[in-house]
Amino acid sequence: MRPSPPLAMWLVRFGLALALLSTMVWAATRISPAAGNVEAIEENLAPRPAPTVGQAPASEASPFRFTIPDPAPRPAASPVGLRIPDLVENAPVIPVGIEPSGEMEIPDKVDEVAWYRFGPAPGQPGSAVLAAHVDLEGQGPGVFYDLRKLEPGAIVVVDYDDGSSSMFEVIARETYLKDELPLDLIFSRSGDPVLTLITCGGDFNRALRRYDSNVVVYATPIESHPAAAMS
Amino acid sequence: MKKLTLLLAAALLAIPAAAMAQTADGTVTVVHGVPGLVVDVYVNDALTLEDFAFGTVTDPLTLPAADYDIDIRAAGADPASDPVLSQTVTLPAGANATIQANLDGAGNPKITVWVNDISSIAAGNGRVTVRHTAAAPNVDVLANDGALFSNVANGAEGVADVPAGTYQVKVTAAGDASTVVLDTPLDIPEGTNVIVYAIGDLAGGSFTVAVQSIGNLQAAPTGVPSGTGGLLNTIPMWLIAALVLSAGTVTYGGLKLARERA
Repeated sequence: MRPSPPLAMWLVRFGLALALLSTMVWAATRISPAAGNVEAIEENLAPRPAPTVGQAPASEASPFRFTIPDPAPRPAASPVGLRIPDLVENAPVIPVGIEPSGEMEIPDKVDEVAWYRFGPAPGQPGSAVLAAHVDLEGQGPGVFYDLRKLEPGAIVVVDYDDGSSSMFEVIARETYLKDELPLDLIFSRSGDPVLTLITCGGDFNRALRRYDSNVVVYATPIESHPAAAMS
Repeated sequence: MKKLTLLLAAALLAIPAAAMAQTADGTVTVVHGVPGLVVDVYVNDALTLEDFAFGTVTDPLTLPAADYDIDIRAAGADPASDPVLSQTVTLPAGANATIQANLDGAGNPKITVWVNDISSIAAGNGRVTVRHTAAAPNVDVLANDGALFSNVANGAEGVADVPAGTYQVKVTAAGDASTVVLDTPLDIPEGTNVIVYAIGDLAGGSFTVAVQSIGNLQAAPTGVPSGTGGLLNTIPMWLIAALVLSAGTVTYGGLKLARERA
């Protein structure tokens, strides 16, 4: 039997090495599903303890006093625009409610961001929820397509209907299977202000045309800077 | 990591409920529905509310579940003098209650204790509660010209969950849509129980409403459906090309090897 010609052996070795190397490169460039400090966010959104007996100063004769509420404060400004450097140039924010299914409503346009209007506005106590499609059949990638690449430290800017703007800093990113999404935490209306950005992610089921996970980015307000610095 | 997140979240959310049950507290709000009287409110012989005027609703206060002696006197009256109204009231653990001074059907002042519905409200909805506590005949309550509660008598209430929004609320004499005693917009915020008290004396001209709001009763949406395109999982072209090339190379080289060895 003649010895194997070097060319055939090298072709096989080359082919196997190419397959191995390309698969490794692809695996290495997968985005990590989680980053940052999600425990800090959970502490931020913990409900504050209920008011207890004796919250007003008591006279010596009385262990507790009833109080009359102050007149209701002005409603907060609503968000109308979202800007994220290197990710979202300037997306319109639309106030939304609930679908008949009980899920949060999201407009059928990939370039629009939905704000859950029953919850707080960004900057108010609790979690302000902004959601957008990662992609839509027939419309291609959406404005949150690269949300899963947003790292802690990134800046998010919200523009309001009264002309003001606020800046937020990303603290954490998490990927949750949809039936493990912590809904009460994400839609909390008490606690410190948190801006919560949500889209779909994970694996896609072609038969059902749905992703199996949600990508959630949490951001907290930072001291106000002139909005012009963000252009 | 995700399981830990969920456990932490569940623990944090459970703490207030557990704390309430452990210390056996309830919540109390006081409403003044007797016209022509500014009062001091004493609880267990201690002054808890001074110069309380008709139509006013207090902030809620958390108190230990117990029986409480309520005495209502004219504002500034001697604490030792006979109260105008007096009643012992039971506050059950975990209850959200309203203690109200109001007129009965005959126009006599009394103390009424209501238990407020603080059960969870489906996402997107609010709750409207109407309490007839005025010296007035039975009424019908309409929202946006649709019947909401019918033939409500003094001392009775109606409770309904409705889609959150602003409603035009009309109160008419029961069965007589032409006799309108109230016609006002009412905002029902999502996740809030808006409690409307009809108070005063209709014949005497002091008929009006007082409103109490209990918020934070909402349920969260059941999900955030945000993608049907499937582009995230598309295998990139370069990887497909590399794998096709490698498969071709391995197959060609392998066949060549097999032929030359045979």
